Amino acid sequence: MNENNTVTDEQLIANFQNGDEHAFVELVDRYKDRLVNFVYRFLHDMTDAEDLVQETFLKVYKNKHAYKEIAKFSTWIYTIAGNLARSELRKRKRRKTYTMSELSFEDNEFTPVDTDKDTEGIVFNTYAGEEIMKAIRNLQEPFKTIIILRDIQELSYEDISTILDIPMGTVKSRVNRARLKLQDTLSYLKE
Amino acid sequence: MQNNECIYICEQFTEYNDGSLSTEIKSKVDTHLASCTPCAQRFHALSDMINKLHQLPALKTTTDFNANLMAQVEKLNNESIWQKIYQSSYTRVAGYAIAAGLVVAIGINMIIDPIAPRGPQNIQRFAGEEKGTGAPVESIVEVTDSAFSGGADSLQLENPIIPKGESMHLVSDSK
Repeated sequence: MNENNTVTDEQLIANFQNGDEHAFVELVDRYKDRLVNFVYRFLHDMTDAEDLVQETFLKVYKNKHAYKEIAKFSTWIYTIAGNLARSELRKRKRRKTYTMSELSFEDNEFTPVDTDKDTEGIVFNTYAGEEIMKAIRNLQEPFKTIIILRDIQELSYEDISTILDIPMGTVKSRVNRARLKLQDTLSYLKE
Repeated sequence: MQNNECIYICEQFTEYNDGSLSTEIKSKVDTHLASCTPCAQRFHALSDMINKLHQLPALKTTTDFNANLMAQVEKLNNESIWQKIYQSSYTRVAGYAIAAGLVVAIGINMIIDPIAPRGPQNIQRFAGEEKGTGAPVESIVEVTDSAFSGGADSLQLENPIIPKGESMHLVSDSK
């Protein structure tokens, strides 16, 4: 993740814990775009995504001593951002201020095509990036998260396992199921 | 028609793509894909989808992201300084208030308490028996010089529980 950087993320956070504010700025530069890409897939609003990433960094700043070197810095910060994104989605649901286009399939009472069912007759074409994004938005939450972490953020199974606090085997099987669901959703949208 | 083997093969797609399948299972998937058109079609579409996911345009934060963040950090630092000051002065004020309260409470208690000792010379406690019942009684009386009429051990006192002419024993020492 940071092969091109001579100083590791873990060294930077250690320096920041010892009072080096420049180390914090360096961590911000390393993670701001990655995190915006991550949370945007949940919130679908760039301003909200930036606000949430700022909140993530403020949490890191305030709670810098909560980080222990037993975990990778990347998994720690992704966990914070993921939790904030989920909490924001819950708030939105309560406030009911989302637009119809922000509704998930679940909210629209749409049942995605079940991969366990016979898929005979479905033609699996190639898909455009925009169609894929639309399909991701409509995935159910656990599948959406795992697709974003694995296929968009390209995190390792190990990191995903730490972030989501689920066993590695579950991560792998969920990635597989999520991809098949996404594929079925794409086929459904194309029909 | 999708059968159990097709379902099993579909479950292996992720690890097949990652190249993490054992040689035995990999060759099973290869054989199946060569003979099952729907599964082969699905696998190719899936691989294409994964490639597209990797190539989705990356979003970038706005140019003033860092400036906005650092402004919030500064605000946070200022807030925590004031919080510390507030907390420390609050703690000090609370300590002073408790101390002052204790002093006032002790002072009031000393002024209004009617049975507080006023000096060992003229207040004594006596014990005896109630006439007729033999029940023990105790009384606090003010002793004046004129109360002494006999020897050093006996007293003649005007007291409701000590009949006139009877003597009581001194319980508490006094100077």
